[in-house]
Amino acid sequence: MIPFSYYVILAITLIFIGIFGMVFRRNLIVMCACIEIVINALIVLFAAISYFHRDTTGYIVVFFLIAMAAAEAAVGLTLIVLLYKKQRAIHSEEVSELKG
Amino acid sequence: MEKLVFYYLAFAMIASGIGAVVSRNPVHTVLFVLGLVLHQALLLFTLGSEFLAAVQVIVYAGAVLVLFLFVVYLINLKKETLKRRFIKNFSPCFLIFLLFTLIVVKTLLFLPALTSHFKARLPFPKGGSPLYFMAKNLFQTYLFQFELIGVVLLVVVLGAVFLLRRLDNPSEEGK
Repeated sequence: MIPFSYYVILAITLIFIGIFGMVFRRNLIVMCACIEIVINALIVLFAAISYFHRDTTGYIVVFFLIAMAAAEAAVGLTLIVLLYKKQRAIHSEEVSELKG
Repeated sequence: MEKLVFYYLAFAMIASGIGAVVSRNPVHTVLFVLGLVLHQALLLFTLGSEFLAAVQVIVYAGAVLVLFLFVVYLINLKKETLKRRFIKNFSPCFLIFLLFTLIVVKTLLFLPALTSHFKARLPFPKGGSPLYFMAKNLFQTYLFQFELIGVVLLVVVLGAVFLLRRLDNPSEEGK
């Protein structure tokens, strides 16, 4: 029997890795993939909560999370392709049009 | 045995997460995330939800990561792999990341108090599998949210098509 805290530690580690990549990487595609890592950590956490409470609400939240992750990936990648078409740049430092 | 499976899955997920963050080539990043998603599907299987494991494999591995791969192939990778991986000026980002690290440490300190709430493990109600109750809950209590997700996905498809269509038409470029 695995304690609930192990799942929390796993999820927190994954969120940590995802935020690290989100903050410190330059490539926009990799940053999008890091958001996916964070969402996957949340999926693990909600599924574990649902399993330990014996309540299916967490599974439903996971279901919605997967759908929202698909939508988010579609929009983010569309914007990246658009940016690449316009500026030939997919690095966060090269996209500085909005800088004052 | 149960613990061994969990340790293997957790180790594989964390290792592929780290690999995804540090790998230089975006294709490798996407493949590492694919490994993470597949191991996570197994973890969802051990958490008593076969349906979500199947959805995870079909939607994430089958649709989202293929979309990622297509975008990676659309973009010229020859020059990208030679450049730096991480950002150069650390000051503001580093502060934010430090704050987040503090929050993580704080959460880990509160973990024993948190887990005492999660020892009940009541049995599921009689008369069906967890999937049965999940479907019942989804299509009765959360029906409106379910329909809303459908609308969101439709809007996303329309938005993506609209955004990428405008640039292909050079006569609208100046307007």
